[in-house]
Amino acid sequence: MADVAFLGDPAVKAQALARLRSHIAAGTFVFFPAWADGKANIIGALVEADDKQAFAERYGYPIAFATALEMIVNAFKVLPDAEEFVGALLERTPVGVDLSRIVPQVLVSLLASPDVVALTGRYGEVERCRREVLALHQRVIGGEVPDRKEWKAIRMAAVAASDAIVDDALPHLASLIVEAAAWPATMRSVLHDTLGACGRLEIQQMMDTIGWTQAQESRVFKIREQAEADGRMAELEGLDRVLALLDHDDPELARGFRKRLEHFGKLGDHYRTVGWKIIELIEQAPKAVLPRENAD
Amino acid sequence: MRNATEQDFDDIVMKNDKPVLVDFWAPWCAPCKALAPTLDELAEEYAEEMEVVKVDIEANPALAARFGVRGIPLLMVVRDGEEKARTVGTISRSRLDAFVEANVGGQ
Repeated sequence: MADVAFLGDPAVKAQALARLRSHIAAGTFVFFPAWADGKANIIGALVEADDKQAFAERYGYPIAFATALEMIVNAFKVLPDAEEFVGALLERTPVGVDLSRIVPQVLVSLLASPDVVALTGRYGEVERCRREVLALHQRVIGGEVPDRKEWKAIRMAAVAASDAIVDDALPHLASLIVEAAAWPATMRSVLHDTLGACGRLEIQQMMDTIGWTQAQESRVFKIREQAEADGRMAELEGLDRVLALLDHDDPELARGFRKRLEHFGKLGDHYRTVGWKIIELIEQAPKAVLPRENAD
Repeated sequence: MRNATEQDFDDIVMKNDKPVLVDFWAPWCAPCKALAPTLDELAEEYAEEMEVVKVDIEANPALAARFGVRGIPLLMVVRDGEEKARTVGTISRSRLDAFVEANVGGQ
């Protein structure tokens, strides 16, 4: 019963919730590792293994969603927020709903995001690919099964269109979203790769907003690396040491780096928003027609 | 999907009639582990055109040295006993597909 929430069985949902709650109560729910030494993330908590395939099969979530789930949960950054999210995910997933259209629905929303459209619109071929990929996912949502050759043709066109964009970072990153999404939603990595591409665009937009460049990032790295080699300010640790080094060597760079830290701390909004949107979509999913009901 | 070692690499890869996508990986490499299910799918999808072969560089360091493996996951296409292309690091499924398509050819 692929993509039928909790395989249509309330006992499966109860088991999932019990496993998750027991890890949260014991303080063994973690971001990483998935499953080791009694600690577990969302995957490990539910299947007692680092096994996304098992997670999908035992609880009825689409494999593409299971593959992207850690990325979404980890974006919550602090455990109480992550625990609230994963608890809500399980509690608000109705038993027996059809989850097969959730991933294409999310991909459509990512491809139709105004930020992405504004960027792909600057390059005719990228925009054509975006529209075609979006149309394929909409056909899937409508119940069609587009031929794999259709997916392949548009995927290759999207990769070529991405490669044709040079020295224009934001549209290039937007085009990487389009090519990543150019797979049927049954492909395990499609949501993971598409969200990853969205994350890279989010980072670049953040860097542009605060005027932080790769050259500055590289300069920070080199100062830190040199200090590691010569043992300077070894009495300090971690970020405190980096900031002290920058304050001493390049106060202007230090100011920029503090700004960068502050803004980068806010990154992940995109993933978190997608996570909550997925829960809303799951709540609205239609009830699956199970084989026995069909026979009746 | 087969695993190759220092003993049978030449038989399995270099003398293979089909193009071979060699996956250099290690048990401690998380990105390699993440890539594994994708390679399973790829092996199935391109079963007629190529073979996918895995090489654990931890167990077979001489192969890593022979092919100058300095980072993993490293994917290398071997055709007619010669390396044709390689890509290192995490790669999206679409890029991987394009890499295989360009260097092996598909349906």
